[in-house]
Amino acid sequence: MKQVNFTLNGSPQTCVAEDDLVLLDFLRKNQDLTGAKQSCDRKGQCGACTVVVNKKAVRSCLTRVVSLHGADVITIEGLGTPDNPHLIQEAFALSGAIQCGYCTPGMIMASKALLDRNPDPDTDAIKKALARNLCRCTGYKKIIDAVKLAGSFIRGEARPIEVRPDPEEGTIGVSLPRPTALLLATGKALFTADRNMDGVLELAAVRSPFSHALIKSIDTSQAEKVPGVVCVLTAKNIRGTNRLKEDQPILCEHKVHVMGDAVAAVIADTKENALQGAQAVSVEYARLPEVHSPAEAVAAGSCQVHESTANLCYSHPQIKGDAQAALSQSDVVVEARFSTQQIHQSPLEPEASLAYFEEHPEDDEPQLVVVGRSINIHYHLKILQDALGWENMRYEQAFIGGQFGIKMDITAEGLAAAAALHVRRPVRYVCSLTESMWITTKRHPFDMKVQLGADRSGKLTGYSIDFVVDNGAYVSAGKSIVNRALYMLSGSYHIPHVRAMGTLVYTNNAWGGAARGAGPPQVNFALESAMELLAARLEIDPLEFRLMNTVKPGQSISTGEVVEEWPYPGCLEALREHYERARRDCAAASTGRFKRGVGLAGGSFGIGRGGPDRSQVAVELMPDGGLTVYGSIADPGEGNDAMLTQIASHLTGIPQQKIHLVTRDTDSTPDSSSASGSRVTYMSGGALVNAIEALKKAMEEAGGPEHKHLVAAGKPTRYLGTRVAQTTLLDPETGRGVPFESRVHGVQMAEVEVDTETGEVRLLKMTAVVDPGTVINPRIVEGQIEGGLDMGAGMALREHYVHGETNDWIGYKFPTMKTAFDMNVILLQTPRKRGPLGAVGVGEFVLLPTAAAIITAIQNATRGERICDLPATPQRVLDAMGGETPAVDTDGN
Amino acid sequence: MTPMAIDDSIRANDRTTRTIDGKEVLFDEEGFLVEPEHWTETIAETIALEMGIPELTPLQWQTIHCLRGFYLANGRAPLNRDIKRETGLSLLELERLFPGGIRHGARRLAGLPNPKGC
Repeated sequence: MKQVNFTLNGSPQTCVAEDDLVLLDFLRKNQDLTGAKQSCDRKGQCGACTVVVNKKAVRSCLTRVVSLHGADVITIEGLGTPDNPHLIQEAFALSGAIQCGYCTPGMIMASKALLDRNPDPDTDAIKKALARNLCRCTGYKKIIDAVKLAGSFIRGEARPIEVRPDPEEGTIGVSLPRPTALLLATGKALFTADRNMDGVLELAAVRSPFSHALIKSIDTSQAEKVPGVVCVLTAKNIRGTNRLKEDQPILCEHKVHVMGDAVAAVIADTKENALQGAQAVSVEYARLPEVHSPAEAVAAGSCQVHESTANLCYSHPQIKGDAQAALSQSDVVVEARFSTQQIHQSPLEPEASLAYFEEHPEDDEPQLVVVGRSINIHYHLKILQDALGWENMRYEQAFIGGQFGIKMDITAEGLAAAAALHVRRPVRYVCSLTESMWITTKRHPFDMKVQLGADRSGKLTGYSIDFVVDNGAYVSAGKSIVNRALYMLSGSYHIPHVRAMGTLVYTNNAWGGAARGAGPPQVNFALESAMELLAARLEIDPLEFRLMNTVKPGQSISTGEVVEEWPYPGCLEALREHYERARRDCAAASTGRFKRGVGLAGGSFGIGRGGPDRSQVAVELMPDGGLTVYGSIADPGEGNDAMLTQIASHLTGIPQQKIHLVTRDTDSTPDSSSASGSRVTYMSGGALVNAIEALKKAMEEAGGPEHKHLVAAGKPTRYLGTRVAQTTLLDPETGRGVPFESRVHGVQMAEVEVDTETGEVRLLKMTAVVDPGTVINPRIVEGQIEGGLDMGAGMALREHYVHGETNDWIGYKFPTMKTAFDMNVILLQTPRKRGPLGAVGVGEFVLLPTAAAIITAIQNATRGERICDLPATPQRVLDAMGGETPAVDTDGN
Repeated sequence: MTPMAIDDSIRANDRTTRTIDGKEVLFDEEGFLVEPEHWTETIAETIALEMGIPELTPLQWQTIHCLRGFYLANGRAPLNRDIKRETGLSLLELERLFPGGIRHGARRLAGLPNPKGC
């Protein structure tokens, strides 16, 4: 213990601190300054907790308070407020550098320290200064732009007002800052772990160290004696079904199915005591045989992961024409096997939930409020009601620190709510990063065997693919992932004959779930790789090969759907000049050791859940002339707040500042379904358009556009809009159907440099041409694409989650400023017939082409074999080269 | 090729198209309407018969219309407390009013989406 005097945001502080108290905890717990975030388990890896101490950026999770005597400490809260932001905060908002915003306070504080000493930093200086600040959403490009813009503000060379869009420009196709940007930039946006309550209890889970075992007994007696422990929860204390999904318990009853399964939960006055209590719970297990690959799981005599379901838990075919005959008659057929790895979606925010009761005088029983980070709050509310056997419940969505599919499932909410229900007191469950990795879904690994054929002229003839998906221990979205892979199986191309079989297999591995793109990125990697192999065999330029095989309106895709619009060829044409430039550049820059290469890949991505899909959004004209938009529309960083505001302002003429969004809780919102499938702009934007049309019709009938006109005419001031997709599921026998109304299309080009001695790959640049229809906010769309390119590069080159081994961001090879690369985004705008104002979504599509483009570029650089297994580690690159230095390249390919 | 027989609520063959009152109506695997907008009183009466209710009582109709009105106004199913407030009935009375209670009885009759749906 030591008394420390220092200055915090200009105010003198005197505190008596334990030797091991770190500044991050002092700020968050003692001062309620929650702008500094925790992501990396206080290992100093993520930079989300960065503050400025004596003009230097420091990671507050590594800074002991006792070391701060006499120091000057500035946190994000000390810079500015939403109404009076600091120039750096404003620059981040204006640059589109804020997506989920979890990393933003740390980024801004690191930028502050940099700009104080160097107000005119170049890209290298910015990358160096922010090297230890991680961001999963942006790909770093717009963060670098933001620091440069902030520098120009600080130097007095520009002013924010000069950068803000002119109101005369309107609201569509204009890069207006997101409505929540300054809340996030100033640290005022509250994420789940930032929420606190008086008397809140903390929870720690007891988790299985085994992948498959019977629970023989659970002894909680010693844990209950730990000071501060209030109670220990086991499955028998849960009143409802105890299921988050049909096969996934909140607390395991008799058996664990994967390492990390929760078997008990300890609730205590502090997190430390809860953790100590968890250590004292004694669980006796009886180990069972385990299966860790689909092949093992379907082998004769293998153990069954779930007693009531076979390990081979789902399969679905797709048949269009006669692929076998077509392939046998093709002039050229390529055959290959591809695999993709398990990937952690890696939102920076660890899992967390807070649950508490709220009394309402008119109700017989209190309402259980569950705070969390769900992107499908009405659906998850229903799951919690059933799982816990408590109906009067409300889900409140806090700000969400990134998601990328992971938050299609709830995690910490189940235990926090069960505990609060049991003890009738507020309970908070904030997971460590390692624990978060254990309890969340992952991107499914795919194993794919393909044959692709063409005639001599280069026209595709037939395609056959068998893909096996390692489901892991719980089904989550596994069946949808198989279906979604089939929905988009033939990618951008017209293939007359297709045969596919997708198979989902339970194992005792970490379980898969929704992950940006959710199935199509894996099968598109296989298809686009096969396209490259076939183009090489036919000696046709890859761009021309894709052009000659693109689907044309009136032709059908693998689901049998005949498409009306297919703007993919325009994307290829738009890339052509860049492709030719890149090939010249690479040829000129290749040296003996360092080889450069260029690779292309395309993709087309269906918008929506796939099959039946509906969204509901309500609007209410307010007495002050403002408009309130109601809908359970999550915004984990995509900019849905801007989309809703800009569409509403455009259609009503009401200024953007007077559009208010109510999106976060189940009592106040219509069910707009999930923020998934790149569906929010298309479906919920569409529902918003419908609601506004109903309001405008009522205004016309009332004889005036104001609130008082509606009231005088006896008309409602609130209108519900519903958007129902005209889609179908796939036929279970043939895989035929119309799962989507519309699609986003694009093509990407990778430029890489390969160190032929080490196998290291440097991604120099990605060029992405995307046609998402009408662009509502260009900077936000660019940001989605840039972030997706960065994530796709991770899939291609580095990322591989290994359950039980991967336990932090460095171990996972999280993308950094150091791995960031140059990006060029080219947006084409072919308005879609049924999109709101002609728009579709864009967030997931970008994952489809990236890995294949990068792998092609590597192959073209090295002239080696094609790498078929992701990620392309240096060893795999060397193996593909056959251990020999390739011949000198002459044309960049 | 026949896919494996499995319990998957997202498959097409788990849905049933039925003709009621001359119109095709799509139901999910648990008998809930897939498109709540397609609801009619005749559909409610047909479902009621199948649930063993020969004729819906005024109180049952009142509750059905209450659920439906709430759904159409709010875009979500009501909580029990909302229904109690609207109907003046106790939870026990409401649960006893329909085979399957509120969740699987009244909701289905009122054409609200399946609570399991997403």
